[in-house]
Amino acid sequence: MLEGAELYFNVDHGYLEGLVRGCKASLLTQQDYINLVQCETLEDVKIHLQTTDYGNFLANQTNPLTVSKIDTEMRKKLCREFEYFRNHSLEPLSTFFTYMTCSYMIDNVILLMNGALQKKSVKEILVKCHPLGRFTEMEAVNIAETPSDLFNAVLVETPLAPFFQDCMSENTLDELNIELLRNKLYKSYLEAFYKFCKNHGDVTAEIMCPILEFEADRRAFIITLNSFGTELSKDDRETLYPTCGKLYPEGLRLLAQAEDFDQMRRVADHYGVYKPLFEAVGDGNGGKTLEDVFYEREVQMNVLAFNRQFHYGVFYAYTKLKEQEMRNIVWIAECISQRHRTKINSYIPIL
Amino acid sequence: MGSMFRSEEVALVQLFLPTSAAYTCMSQLGELGLVEFRDLNASVSAFQRRFVGDVRRCEELEKTFMFLQEEVRRAGLVLPPPEGRLLAPPPRDLLRIQEETDRLAQELRDVRGNQQSLRAQLHQLQLHSAVLGQGHSLPLAAPHADGLSERSPLLQPPGGPHQDLRVNFVAGAVEPSKAAALERLLWRACRGFLIASFRETEQQLEDPVTGEPATWMTFLISYWGERIGQKIHKITDCFHCHVFPFVEQEEGRLTTLQQLRQQSQELQEVLGETERFLTQVLGRVQRLLPPWQVQIRKMKAVYLALNQCSVSATHKCLIAEGWCATRDLPTLQQVLQDSSSEAGVSAVVHRIPCRDMPPTLIRTNRFTASFQGIVDAYGVGRYQEVNPAPYTIITFPFLFAVMFGDVGHGLLMFLFALAMVLAENQPAVKTAQNEIWQTFFSGRYLLLLMGLFSIYTGFIYNECFSRATTIFSSGWSVAAMATQSDWSDTFLAEHPLLTLDPNVTGVFLGPYPFGIDPVWSLAVNHLSFLNSFKMKMSVILGVTHMTFGVVLGVFNHIHFGQWHRLLLETLPELVFLLGLFGYLVFLVIYKWLCISAASAASAPSILIHFINMFLFSRSPTNRLLFPGQEVVQSVLVVLALAMVPVLLLGTPLFLHWQHRRRSRRPTGRQPDEDKSRILDSSDTSVAGWGSDEEKAGCPGNSEEAEFVLSEVLMHQAIHTIEFCLGCISNTASYLRLWALSLAHAQLSEVLWAMVMRSGLRMGREWGVAPVVLVPVFAAFAVLTVAILLVMEGLSAFLHALRLHWVEFQNKFYSGSGYKLSPFTFTAEEE
Repeated sequence: MLEGAELYFNVDHGYLEGLVRGCKASLLTQQDYINLVQCETLEDVKIHLQTTDYGNFLANQTNPLTVSKIDTEMRKKLCREFEYFRNHSLEPLSTFFTYMTCSYMIDNVILLMNGALQKKSVKEILVKCHPLGRFTEMEAVNIAETPSDLFNAVLVETPLAPFFQDCMSENTLDELNIELLRNKLYKSYLEAFYKFCKNHGDVTAEIMCPILEFEADRRAFIITLNSFGTELSKDDRETLYPTCGKLYPEGLRLLAQAEDFDQMRRVADHYGVYKPLFEAVGDGNGGKTLEDVFYEREVQMNVLAFNRQFHYGVFYAYTKLKEQEMRNIVWIAECISQRHRTKINSYIPIL
Repeated sequence: MGSMFRSEEVALVQLFLPTSAAYTCMSQLGELGLVEFRDLNASVSAFQRRFVGDVRRCEELEKTFMFLQEEVRRAGLVLPPPEGRLLAPPPRDLLRIQEETDRLAQELRDVRGNQQSLRAQLHQLQLHSAVLGQGHSLPLAAPHADGLSERSPLLQPPGGPHQDLRVNFVAGAVEPSKAAALERLLWRACRGFLIASFRETEQQLEDPVTGEPATWMTFLISYWGERIGQKIHKITDCFHCHVFPFVEQEEGRLTTLQQLRQQSQELQEVLGETERFLTQVLGRVQRLLPPWQVQIRKMKAVYLALNQCSVSATHKCLIAEGWCATRDLPTLQQVLQDSSSEAGVSAVVHRIPCRDMPPTLIRTNRFTASFQGIVDAYGVGRYQEVNPAPYTIITFPFLFAVMFGDVGHGLLMFLFALAMVLAENQPAVKTAQNEIWQTFFSGRYLLLLMGLFSIYTGFIYNECFSRATTIFSSGWSVAAMATQSDWSDTFLAEHPLLTLDPNVTGVFLGPYPFGIDPVWSLAVNHLSFLNSFKMKMSVILGVTHMTFGVVLGVFNHIHFGQWHRLLLETLPELVFLLGLFGYLVFLVIYKWLCISAASAASAPSILIHFINMFLFSRSPTNRLLFPGQEVVQSVLVVLALAMVPVLLLGTPLFLHWQHRRRSRRPTGRQPDEDKSRILDSSDTSVAGWGSDEEKAGCPGNSEEAEFVLSEVLMHQAIHTIEFCLGCISNTASYLRLWALSLAHAQLSEVLWAMVMRSGLRMGREWGVAPVVLVPVFAAFAVLTVAILLVMEGLSAFLHALRLHWVEFQNKFYSGSGYKLSPFTFTAEEE
C-alpha cells in the first residue's frame, strides 16, 4: 500500500469509519453498568436498556423474558450493524470484514459438527450459531465424515477454504479430531488474517498486528491450559499454536513442554506483556480467572484502537467491544435471573 | 398585549394533591396545560418510582396497540383520527381497555395464524402441483432414468450388494437464488450418482409470508443408492427445499395432480372465509383503536407526571412543584378544587419562594407567533427581559422591504400572503403536511407585512417590476431646458446625451411629492444617484436601529433595578454611538437640507470631514459645513473616547465598591435581611436575574456573594470591546441594505431588459406581438417568481434576520432563558 492513508482513506471508508465511531459512542457507560447491576428483575434490565442505544430492541419479545432472548436480540442487533457496514464497504475493507466473519464461521462449523456427532437435530444447533458466521452451506456440514470430505463438498466455496490446506485428512470426525480441526483452522485463519493486515501496512497494520498477536498468544495459552490432562501429545499440541504471536518461536516451544499451570506461568514471565497478566490471576478462590484477565487486556487494546484514525482496526475493535458488552449484559442478566448477586460485579468494564 | 413587552410573571408553586384525587387533578392539568412540573425525584432511577407499574402497564398496552396498528396497516387500511374530546380515562378503565385489547389481539393473532397456515398449505399444494406438472415433461431425467439405467444398464451389475440398485427420485422446489448453490453442492457431494434437472415454474406463486408473487425453481433428482439418498435429503433440508413424493408412473402423477388441484380449490374457499372474518376483526379494531390510543397515551403522560411528584410524610398526598404563570394561579386553584371535590379532601396550591430563574412565558397569538419565533430562534429571552418581538413586528418587514423595494414584487407577495390569511381556517390548508408549505403558512402574517412594506418602499424607489411609474408629474422639465439653452436640431443629432441643469430656471420645479422622481429612470447617472441615496439611507436606518436597541436596554436596567448600569453602561454607550455615528447621520441630513444645487460645485465632502474628525486635521480644499464644526467634532471625539474607560471600568469598580461596603457591615444583620428578602418573593424574583456579570456579585445573594473582580472585569472588557468595535462594524453591516436593494433593482432591470423588452421588440418587428408575447411573458413570469420573489426574497429575509439578531439584539438582549413548557396533552394528541 502507498503511504499516507489519511489522504485517500476517507474517500472509500470515511463514511463507515464515522459510523463505527458513532456506534462506539453508544457502548454502555460505567454509569449504565452501575444501574444495570442494581436491577431486580430482567424486566428492569429491559427498561434500563431501553434508555440506552439498545432502544426497544426487546419490544417484540413476548413474556416471559429470558436471558437467551436478550442474548439473541443483542446478537441480531450487532449483526444488523455489521451487515450494514459490510454492505457499504469497498475493497480491501470488505476482505477485512470477510476475515472478521471467518472466526465465527469456524465456530459455527465446529458447533454443527459436534451437534451432528451427538445426534442433535440441526435446528437445535442452528439457534446457538452466531449470526455473524452464518452461511448458506452451513447446515450441510453434517453430511461430511472426514475433513477432506467437508472441504470438498461443503466448504470449498466459502472463505474458509484456504484455511483447510493443513487439515486435510481422512480421519473420521470424532470429538478430539473436531477439536483439533477447530484449532488448526483457527491457527491458519489467524495467520492468514495477520498476513493480510501486515501486507496492508499503514496504520491498519500498526493497530491490527498487536491485537492479532495477542489473540494468537492467548490461543496458545488457552490451548496449553486445556490440554493438561488430555491425551493430546506435546508435538500435536505444538502444531496447534498459531505462529504469528509474540511467543513465536521460542515461547511456543517452551509452552509445548509445559506440564502444569506454574510452568506456563514461567513461560509467560519471559514476556513483559504477559507477566503482569499472569500476576493478576487469582489463585482458586476469589480473584480473576486467566480468561477474564485476557478479556480485560483485549478490551484495553480495542479501546486504544480508537485513538488512531484512518485504519480498519476500529471495525474489528468495535465488534469485539460490542461482544464483550454483550457478554457483560448476559453475565449480569444471568446473575439477576439466578439470584446470584455476589458475583454480579465481575463483568469486564469497558473503559 | 402588555405581556408582549416582557415575559409574564411566573411563580414557583407547590401543589398538594390528595392521593385519591391526584390522578384526576393531574389529568385536568394536562387538559389545560398550565404548569410545568419540576422533577422532584431526579435522584431516583426510572424504575424505582411510585407509578412505574402503571406506566409499564400503559406501555404494554401500547405495545399491543402497535401490533394491532401494524396489522391494520398491513391489511392496507387506515386508522381514522379519533373524534371528539377524549379525556384521560379513570384508572379503573385501564383494566377494561386492557382486557378488550388483549381479546382483540388474541382474536386477530388466531385468525392471522389460521390464514398464515392456510396460505402456507396452499403454497405447498401449488408447489407440489407445479413440480408434478413439470415432472412429466422432463426430457432428460425421465427417459434416461427409465430407459438406460434401470432396464438395460450399460454394464452388467456385478451382483452382490448392487443387485437391488435402482433409480430413485427426489422432487421438490427451491428458491431461485439458492438453486445454483444447491446444484453445485449436490454435484460436489455426490458426483456421479445423481442426475438433477432444474427448471423455473411457469406461474408466479404468492409467497405465504410476504404475499408477493415469486417464481420458484423446481427440481427433479434421480439417484442411485441408499447413502446418496440420505445425503441428498440432508442437503435439500439444509437449503430449506420443499420436497414432495414423486410417483414414477405418469398416470399416478396425473391422478395426484388432479387431487392436488381439488384440494387447493377447497383450501382456497376456506381461505376466503378466513379472510372475510379477518376483515371483520380489523373493522372492529379500526373503530376502537384510535380513541383508546389517545386515552392510553394521556394516561401514560399523567402517570409520568405523577412520577415526578414526591410523597408527603404521611402518605396522604403527593407533592408536586412547578412553574405557573401568576395570571393563571386562580384558574389553577379552581381546577384543583373542582377535580378533587369528589375525594373529600381538596387539593391545595400555594406559591413558594425560590432562587432559580423562572422560565420565560410570552403568550402569542397567530399574528405575533411568527415574530416571536424569529426572536426565539436566536435565543429564548431571560425571565422578564425586554422582548424584542413587538418591535420586530415593524422593523423586520421594514428592513426586509428596504432590500426588496419593488411595488410589483411586493404586491405579489402581499397577495400570496393575503390568500393564505383568508384561507387559514380551511381545514385542507391547515392540515397540509408539506413541510415547505407549513413554513410559508406559519409565516403568513410576516409575509403579509413584508409584502405591504415592500409596496411602500417600492413607491419610494419608484419601481414596479423595475419600471418607474409616473403618478405625479415629474419635477424636471426638459422643455424648459431646451428653450433656455437653445438646443438646435444639429446639436441634438450630435449629442446623444444631454444634461438637465437644475440651476437653469424652470428646469427643476421642485421635489417629486413622493419617492424618487421618475425622470431618473431615464437618466444615465441613475445608478450613481441611487447609490448615494441608498448608502446614506442605510447608515441612517442602521444608526437609528442600533440606538433604539441601546435605549431598550434602559428598560432592562430599570426593571431589574440596576440603576448603576444606566449611568455606567447605557449612558457611555449612547454617547459613544451618537457622538460618532449619530453625528455622521446629522452631517448627512444637514447636507441634504442646507447645500443646494446652486452651490453643488463647491459642496463639502462628508467622507473627508469624517476622516479628518478622527485625525484632528483639516483639508483646506474641503469647505466647512457649518461654523465651529471643528470644535464640535473635536469635542465629540474626545467625549466618545473618554466613554470607553468609563464603560470598561465603571460597572466592575462600582460592584467592587458595593461588595466591600457590604462585607464591612456587621454580620449580625445579614440573616434578617436574607429572610426578609426570601419572604418578599416578588422582589427577589425581579432583582435576582440581572445580567450575567451580576451573577458574580448579586446583591443580597449569600450564595453568590463570592465576588471575583477579575471575572467581572474580564466580562466587562469583552462587552466594551464588542460594543465599540461593533459600533463601527455594525454600521458598516447595515450597508447590506444598500447592497441588496441595489442587487434586487439591477436583477429585475436585467430581467426586464433581456426578456420582456426583447420580446416586445421582436413582436413589434415581426408584427406578431401577441404570439411572441405569450411565451415571453411566461418566461418573464416564471423567472420573476423563481428568482426575484423566491430567491431574492430568501436572501433579503436572511439579511434582515441577521440585522435583527446580530446588530440589533446584541445591544440589549441576552436570550439566555428557557421556555415555560407546561405539562399538556395537546402536543401528544398530534
